[in-house]
Amino acid sequence: MTDKNTSSKYSKEYKLSISNPKLFDAIKMAIAILIALAITFVILCLISKDPINALKTILLGPLSKRRYIGAVIESFISFAFAGLAAGVLFKAGGFNMGAEGIFIITGAVVAWIASSPVTSSPILHPILCYLGAMLVGGILMILPSFLKAKFGTNEMVVSLMLNSIYAGVTAYIVRTFIATQQRGSVSSKDYLASARIGYLYEPLRISACFILLIIVTIGLYLMMNKTKLGYQMRLAGVNPKFAEYSGVSAFRLSITTAVIAGVLCGMGSTTQLLTQTSYYTPAQSLVGIGFSGMLLSMLGKNNPIGIVIAAFFIKYLEQGAAILYFVDNAVPSEIVSIVEGIIIMLISSQYFLRRLRERQLLKEGLEEHAK
Amino acid sequence: MLSSIFSTLFSMRFLVTIVRLATPIVFAAIGTFIAAQSGIGNIAIESIMTFAALASVLGSYLSGSAWVGVLFGIGIGIVTVMLIAFFSMKMGANAMLIMIALNTFADAVAIFVLYLVTGEKGTTASLTTPVLGSIDIPIIKDIPILGEILSGQYVLTYLCWIIVILLFIFIYKTPTGMRLRACGLNADAARTAGINVEKMRVLSLVLSGIFAALGGIYLSLNYLKIFSRGMVSGQGWMGVAANGISAGNYWILILSALIFAIFRAVSIIFSSNSAIPTDLVNAIPYLAVFAILTIVSIVNYYRVKRGHVEEQ
Repeated sequence: MTDKNTSSKYSKEYKLSISNPKLFDAIKMAIAILIALAITFVILCLISKDPINALKTILLGPLSKRRYIGAVIESFISFAFAGLAAGVLFKAGGFNMGAEGIFIITGAVVAWIASSPVTSSPILHPILCYLGAMLVGGILMILPSFLKAKFGTNEMVVSLMLNSIYAGVTAYIVRTFIATQQRGSVSSKDYLASARIGYLYEPLRISACFILLIIVTIGLYLMMNKTKLGYQMRLAGVNPKFAEYSGVSAFRLSITTAVIAGVLCGMGSTTQLLTQTSYYTPAQSLVGIGFSGMLLSMLGKNNPIGIVIAAFFIKYLEQGAAILYFVDNAVPSEIVSIVEGIIIMLISSQYFLRRLRERQLLKEGLEEHAK
Repeated sequence: MLSSIFSTLFSMRFLVTIVRLATPIVFAAIGTFIAAQSGIGNIAIESIMTFAALASVLGSYLSGSAWVGVLFGIGIGIVTVMLIAFFSMKMGANAMLIMIALNTFADAVAIFVLYLVTGEKGTTASLTTPVLGSIDIPIIKDIPILGEILSGQYVLTYLCWIIVILLFIFIYKTPTGMRLRACGLNADAARTAGINVEKMRVLSLVLSGIFAALGGIYLSLNYLKIFSRGMVSGQGWMGVAANGISAGNYWILILSALIFAIFRAVSIIFSSNSAIPTDLVNAIPYLAVFAILTIVSIVNYYRVKRGHVEEQ
């Protein structure tokens, strides 16, 4: 057991000398997913009469019909945008949790533009919705990051309080200015036909939003890995003191990342509303997406491509769980959150599978020494 | 219209409401505070409150005794903080991320369990559970004004204020409390002085979990008498905010928690009055926390800045 103690003492040096961290991360992810599924299976055994079929439905159900996979493709895009927004903030070491509020309040902007006859062009109208939401999102996201960077205010609490404030303001705006009397709960008027986003490939429900997501993801990936701003972000995320002493302005960086995140939230809320709804209900349409974004960012390790894959994966599981709930209503669809939670806990643990990695490194080191 | 609001603001009922609303926020505040004293930022208070609120109702339903329900809730609180301690201390995970994750899926997990037990996703209203009541204090209750505030409050409200005083004595007057604070002030120095920092931090986390759990239990088992989804609604975060404002001062912590409770009470009174849109009235407590936290940090910023200028 002394062996274990020494290894924990020197774990930092091992971490620096690891030969292929990407492969190791992939293995770690795969094992985390397997463990999460195993635990899910145990839970299913406890609550479902037919656990094997239940797990099969969750994992393979979405593939059984084309419209199921279409629903996954359509719904994961806005979640991916939320994940990207959280990823940008987390990557630069910020804990601004305002995405939820930005999603909800930009929803009001989208609903307003989409329900008013600003233009009759079916191309220009959605674009105007996007621009409006991106502008408002980018501006409003600044506040918590600004207060943190300038005055050291606790950005987490501030952004959470702002979420609740924005929710109230949104409900007020929708109720007062764009509400309709036809529906029970407070919701906006129907969007005009010109604002709706159509499909490019109907059977799989692929729309222009899908292409937008791909472009934005690649853009963010390049920005994070190939530009000065991306380098500064990574630096500030890993070691803010070092970044500051190397001449990175923490203030400007946090404002920039907040604006980018806010713009991404605006894209997400517009996508969600114009593809999935025909009117905006503040208490329902966009609730929870901003918070899920943070989980996606953790699943994707703040890597834009990883985040988009994670968003697809989670939406896929949610679709599977929804199909299962339809067949066997003993299993609530919230089971996906449990899968998600276990995976996040495991992959964010540095010491998870450390023994395996160390043994591998030791072997490699000995081989090198023998040469 | 306004006069009716003012008459409520200065009535006895208003003070009673404040005391009732303050209980969960004070519990959340001392929970955050004790963890912060040993150097751990416990931001999972909100999720612990949610878990404990549900667990206590279910415990009470299953056992038939409200006090067993309380123990259930406290147990879940301890399990949650031990989970955080395990992942952050033993598994090398970023504690902040673990706690953000916990907060984010707390509601979903609660709904999952709620559905398994009741078959509903909203509340535990369908379960008949024994709940905690309130206490009338014999002599004090007959005193005209004071009696109304001091007597007839909920059981856990009394427990809350007893804990507030005991915790003060523990943190500032006992050797263990001193050691615990030493870990927060300078962990390396504490370690050199022979203090087991990890043990102290686990102790403070467990206390933090118990206090947060009591806050959640108060909401479900004592105040509303049922669990309903989203019932914690930011009260845990108000405790975290109160800790941020206190800057390590215990009585400022309690005072900030009380001020947040006052704003919650104001929001409740205004919402029964149709003059102001309810959507905006509901946001008043959050706006108050936001404004107070921001103002305090701006004041601190300029105080530190001026201090530096004087030193030079």
